[in-house]
Amino acid sequence: MMAKNRISLEINGEAVEADVRPNRLLSDFLRDDLALTGTKRGCETGVCGACSVLVDGDVVKSCLSLAIQMNGCSLTTVEGLACDGAPSPLQKSFMECGGLQCGYCTPGFLMAASDLLARTSRPDVATIRKNLSGNLCRCTGYQGIVDAILDASEKMHGT
Amino acid sequence: MNAFAPGLPTPQVTSQEKALGRATYAGDLKIAGMLHAKLLRSPHAHARILNVDVSRAIALPGVRAVFTGDDVPQRAWGVKHKQQHVLAREVVRFVGEEIAAVVAIDEDTAEEALDLIRVEYEPLPALIDPSQALEPNAVKVHPGGNLADEIGIVRGDVDSAFAEADIVHEETYTTHSQYPGYMEPMATLATTDGSGKLTVWTATQSVFLARQRLAEALDRPVSTVRVVQPTVGGGFGGKIIEERSSVIAGFLAAATDRPVRLCLSRIDDMLSGAFSVPMKIRLKMGMTRDGRITAKDVSIRADCGAYAGLAPEVMLVTAMRSDNMQRLEHTRSHAQLVYTHTMPRGAFRGFGGTQMAFALNSHLTAMADLAGIDPIELHRQNAIRTGDLSIHGWKIGSCGLPECLNQIEGAIGWTEKRSRPKQRGVLRRGIGMAAAMHVSGNRTMGNWDGSTIVLKVNEDGRVVVLTSEADVGQGSNTMLSQICAHELGVPLSHVSVQTPDTDFTPYCLGSIASRVTINAGKAMIKAAREARETILAAAAEKLGCDAIDLTIEDGVVQSTSNANHFAKLPDICRYHIFRHGGEGIHIKATHDPDTVMMDGDHYGNIAPAYSFAAQAVEVEVDTETGQVRLIESWLSDDCGKAINPLAVHGQSNGAAVQAIGWTLCEELQFEEGRLMNGNLADYTMPTADSVPEMHSSIVESMDPNGPLGAKGASETAILPGAPAIANAVFDAIGVRITDLPITPEKILAAIAAQKEKRDA
Amino acid sequence: MRDFHYLEPRTVSEATAMLADHGEEACVFAGGTALILALRQRMMAPGVLVSLGQLEEMRAIRFDPKEGLLIGAMARHNDIARSKIVRQHYPVVAEMAGGLANPQVRNQATIGGNLCYADPSTDPPACLLALGAELTIKGQHGARRIPMDEFNVDYFTVAMEPGEILTQIRLPPPDQEVTTFYRRHLRTPAEHRPVANLALAVRNRGGAFEDVRLIVGAATPAPQLLDGVQDYLSGRSVTAEVAAEAADRAAEEMFPISDGRGDEGFRRQVVRALTRRLVAEAANLDWKETE
Repeated sequence: MMAKNRISLEINGEAVEADVRPNRLLSDFLRDDLALTGTKRGCETGVCGACSVLVDGDVVKSCLSLAIQMNGCSLTTVEGLACDGAPSPLQKSFMECGGLQCGYCTPGFLMAASDLLARTSRPDVATIRKNLSGNLCRCTGYQGIVDAILDASEKMHGT
Repeated sequence: MNAFAPGLPTPQVTSQEKALGRATYAGDLKIAGMLHAKLLRSPHAHARILNVDVSRAIALPGVRAVFTGDDVPQRAWGVKHKQQHVLAREVVRFVGEEIAAVVAIDEDTAEEALDLIRVEYEPLPALIDPSQALEPNAVKVHPGGNLADEIGIVRGDVDSAFAEADIVHEETYTTHSQYPGYMEPMATLATTDGSGKLTVWTATQSVFLARQRLAEALDRPVSTVRVVQPTVGGGFGGKIIEERSSVIAGFLAAATDRPVRLCLSRIDDMLSGAFSVPMKIRLKMGMTRDGRITAKDVSIRADCGAYAGLAPEVMLVTAMRSDNMQRLEHTRSHAQLVYTHTMPRGAFRGFGGTQMAFALNSHLTAMADLAGIDPIELHRQNAIRTGDLSIHGWKIGSCGLPECLNQIEGAIGWTEKRSRPKQRGVLRRGIGMAAAMHVSGNRTMGNWDGSTIVLKVNEDGRVVVLTSEADVGQGSNTMLSQICAHELGVPLSHVSVQTPDTDFTPYCLGSIASRVTINAGKAMIKAAREARETILAAAAEKLGCDAIDLTIEDGVVQSTSNANHFAKLPDICRYHIFRHGGEGIHIKATHDPDTVMMDGDHYGNIAPAYSFAAQAVEVEVDTETGQVRLIESWLSDDCGKAINPLAVHGQSNGAAVQAIGWTLCEELQFEEGRLMNGNLADYTMPTADSVPEMHSSIVESMDPNGPLGAKGASETAILPGAPAIANAVFDAIGVRITDLPITPEKILAAIAAQKEKRDA
Repeated sequence: MRDFHYLEPRTVSEATAMLADHGEEACVFAGGTALILALRQRMMAPGVLVSLGQLEEMRAIRFDPKEGLLIGAMARHNDIARSKIVRQHYPVVAEMAGGLANPQVRNQATIGGNLCYADPSTDPPACLLALGAELTIKGQHGARRIPMDEFNVDYFTVAMEPGEILTQIRLPPPDQEVTTFYRRHLRTPAEHRPVANLALAVRNRGGAFEDVRLIVGAATPAPQLLDGVQDYLSGRSVTAEVAAEAADRAAEEMFPISDGRGDEGFRRQVVRALTRRLVAEAANLDWKETE
């Protein structure tokens, strides 16, 4: 078995040091080593987006990343979106607009939406849909999710 | 408190933990000492297992146990046909059938051990093509032959009715399998605890059906198995009782006497369950010149793959359900279900309804064209109505189908778009519509379709609801909470619905057949009203007034005749306990609908209510690339009464997109029974940017048997999508695709054939 | 996924030295999106991954009026799509990069990794070929430059030797008279990867096409320059009929691949449609009107 490598990174604002094997996937590292199980595994082929997290502000698929690549990076997972344990405005909009049903894809969509709203304060519907193309949802038909992101952008950035 | 009263859009009561990423799914659970499992599958469609050498796998450090078919109970499990084992014994009947399982300290080790198992097979001839299944010399999938089920239903005098028809149209339609595609692959954690009990946390739509099957497959008493439902990431029919991994996980825990978690990868999930049932449907219908349907003759050949599972029940729905949507007098249906050496097929949202809805609605639009009638008008003219008794004995207590048709007609601008000149450019638009019906509940499993609610009012006046009806994302816990809060007079946030657990929550059938709202909703009303009476009686005693004068609002018991007579709910609840002979408030209420099981001739009112839906779509067809793109979709659902409109719209939109997937972009590709595109990159489900805005509207027909008038929502909405799209494609380019999916290749081939015919 | 060593060189020469040291055991790791999949599916089992993640010098995107656009091979697709420089001088490249795969992959995958992996079902090669890209490849014994035309050899095969690293992509300064068109086609709107794409660079001189470059990608094992169609279009005034003829010739000339996304016939038909559309568009004709 290969030696482990020491990595230092920041996750949800907290410094983390860990020893990981080079072949440790970021999604497995988050879920199994750090118990951050909000990040989901849905396809392991980089299609469904349930494992999406932010790395230095950019949304990426943690099932297509190695934990070792994250040395020196700042990560946000779904657990890091809440404000003092309460849902953020974006999370609230997902709750109120039918942006979630079974909830399994929700963390991934929240991360993709966070990335989008950080870059584009008032995206139009076409931009929203295009920026969700790396995430799959089987429950909502995407309508509630699009509505939620529109609602959040309005609440966060005004009309 | 009234903000979330029944009828008002209500965020799911589970939405906060889901949005925070804190909802716990089976794959998130861990127990100390937990082991991990991986499965070895057959590469052959049909073969005899001669020898399985697991010695090298067992020798791998970290491997705790390896099991094969020799180790599993001899008792076979199944729905009606008992023909499956925990792991295949002696013979494999499809590519992907589980033949061995490895239990190891982690998934990587288990995976590596799979490569070390040596299996010796004797390949046998395989039956892949269902059309060959009933040939006299066909290879037999099971010793009893390849006919898994056969249904024949005749009502009225069909041949005479055809003779009298002005227009007779006949066509054959074929439908393909769809993968449920829930985002959470199946995951199960099972453990023993030294007491002889096996506890199984699994992603299931029904804990009690799951327990029944585990007991059967593991050949042990029902009460030695406990099934608990964690948060479930979608089901769509795929997590009822056909997926096989939860059974294997239960076996592995029992056999190793250790906690074992089996989280499926996506490919494993696709191979471990049942896709929807592919069918070939020949449909012949007769109609008068003015559009009255006079006769219907249906012939079906369905393929259940290697094991029957729920497919016979699915096929029965295909064979007769849609007959009840119209006022028919003469129908004949003959359906055969055959085995092949391919993956098992079975339950899927719509449960056989989608297949027939495609055939019927394609057919009706074609016949409307033959008669020169608007297809919406044709549907409206033949629609069954409130108060009717259908041809198969279904009592239609409410029918909002005409209103659904009106809604979609207006919303999409049907008349205007139909009258526009046919387009001649490269990109051509067309519109199409379809209508469908579904059951709300179904008395098929034993002579019971009931639901039981246990309701506990705590000493702080807050409520715990115990039910085993499964919220798999559709929002049934929210619906129950809304009803409970409303009936009891407490805020929604004071109601919590417990997770289904066979040892603690009452017996229920779970989330199948769109039965939860109508049956559990009724039980919930009953329980809440009884709890209310109990509270009011105690309050009357404490306050020294008449219970009839008391109401509960926002957690306060108040006299309507004397403003000074009031008490907070916690005071009353404590009073109910803390007195001689007192006790906590525990209410149990059951509702079993007034329905019957079908008789031997498939006649009888099986459901307390029936839901309806209609959909109109506009598509754009690229005549050069064959690509079909949805431009607009308007779906109207008659769910009786939308207790939570947010949830109903969510169900309708999700169903509509799932139907788009089935029709246009999802296609399971098989070669000699082997799944070739078992991943989500190559099995392409609709993405957010591939579909337009989904419009959903609701018709409230207020069913007399429904809780507050409500019927089931969600399954009906998946039914009209495929034929609406096929009809719109026909409207756009003048060619009718009768075999799903509607691929670019089929569009291009049809256009080429059309051109050839025109040029000839 | 099997175990491996993970090395993070700080300079390109350190990276090439590491590759030389480990020989066939080693594999270059760029963005990782394709490689991790291959590792997980055990299609590859290298003993050593040489990550280029720390080579900041290979991320840069800059423009030099003489040399043109210089894109570091470790630039991610979104770096290219969002780069002001790229958007200003080569909008077609920014648009191509911004539509590739999906947002997450665009934040992870690099242009260099994409080109070296040479999966045919992707967008950059055809587009870059049309623009006359030139690639810088470094090995232990120095650097060389090769035109993009010579880079893609076959399905998953490029003109690189073991131990070499693609470091930079250069696009010559834009010729203001040449316009480049690029279009990808998805089999269905829900698809993730193109079934075909087409790039067309053309100098439109008084209605006549000159210096035509027409490349089909994703539908062929490697991006294919359609010489015959280029010759046909050169010097010609493009009418709807000419566009249709060019389309038929493109469909004929290409060497299509055949797989689960589409067989040969389908891919030819899609390329026929794309060609007609792009040629018509380049000639300011409306392709939607007639068949």
